[in-house]
Amino acid sequence: MIKKLIFSLSVFTIFSCQSEQELKTEQYFAEGYQIYTMNCANCHQADGKGMANLYPPLAGSKIIQDKPAMACIMRYGMKSTIEVNGKPFNRPMPANPKLQELEIAEVITYVNMKWGKDSIYTPIATVTKALIDCVER
Amino acid sequence: MRSLGNIGYSKLVVLFVVLGLMSGCDSGNKKLPILGERDWVTKKVDGKEVTDTIYNVIPTFTFTNQYGDTVTEKIVKDKIYVTDFFFTSCPTICPVMKRQMLKVYKEFKDNPDVMILSHTIDPEHDTPQVLNKFAKDLGVEGKQWQFLTGPKEKIYEIGQKSYLSAAQEDRTAEGGFLHSGAFILIDKEKHIRGMYDGTTEEGTQKLIQGIKSLLEEYKK
Repeated sequence: MIKKLIFSLSVFTIFSCQSEQELKTEQYFAEGYQIYTMNCANCHQADGKGMANLYPPLAGSKIIQDKPAMACIMRYGMKSTIEVNGKPFNRPMPANPKLQELEIAEVITYVNMKWGKDSIYTPIATVTKALIDCVER
Repeated sequence: MRSLGNIGYSKLVVLFVVLGLMSGCDSGNKKLPILGERDWVTKKVDGKEVTDTIYNVIPTFTFTNQYGDTVTEKIVKDKIYVTDFFFTSCPTICPVMKRQMLKVYKEFKDNPDVMILSHTIDPEHDTPQVLNKFAKDLGVEGKQWQFLTGPKEKIYEIGQKSYLSAAQEDRTAEGGFLHSGAFILIDKEKHIRGMYDGTTEEGTQKLIQGIKSLLEEYKK
């Protein structure tokens, strides 16, 4: 009887965890889409393909998988040259000091689920940790 | 209301169809208006008093393009052109405007009657060299699309007074400048014939239609 109860309880916990993760993933993705549209799509474009040799693409770019780098560039901007898909881009990207850690995590989630290989959200903790030791780029 | 009721439904439908056809025909042949402030003068021609309208005309100018060449109003002689104001380090509406202008550029590429003049409003940063690299990175070559720089006060003056487009420095604005997102269409007589929202697809498509209808006007 007790064994049965523990079993059903653990089954319940697993399922509730999964659905919470799914829910968060959906939330992060939806919020991330909105923040991306407001703050990033001007240059990187709604389709993530960037613009000619002016602004680098996110779609198909390996750099988006480097989440600590993504977080730091979003928060502090970037001045140096970045090579994306074999092409150099050297226009400065402005800092976004107004973006909260949650919002940065949501954008990373959106970008990596839309144009990367992620299927679950990127937690705030990843961003918080990354922002502690950002280097100037 | 009573008389309207007496017309009957079917007649009403016919009326609307006719009205619709009329307005449809109208917009098809509509000439673009001449925009801007205007003045009137009365003079005597063959002993009769004649009133002439004086329209806002784009004055002479001298700027430097992305190749370091001096450019004056002569470059747009007998051409229609589109103009706008931007700066290369602009984080807000300029990337969208340039993406949209690129569509206009591609639509009329190599048409000798059409030019584009983009003025920087940040000439201290946007030197001819900076503009040259910007144009190249945007994928623009040749001389049909000119990126112009020059004395700041001259750029702001022509923007505000002649092209009716806001352009000014504002330290509180993102990027440090305030400017409108307008694309301005100028005809061969140097009159403003249209102002379009360069930040939207709708505005851009209207501009492309405007250029086509202006080109038609000169064919006749």
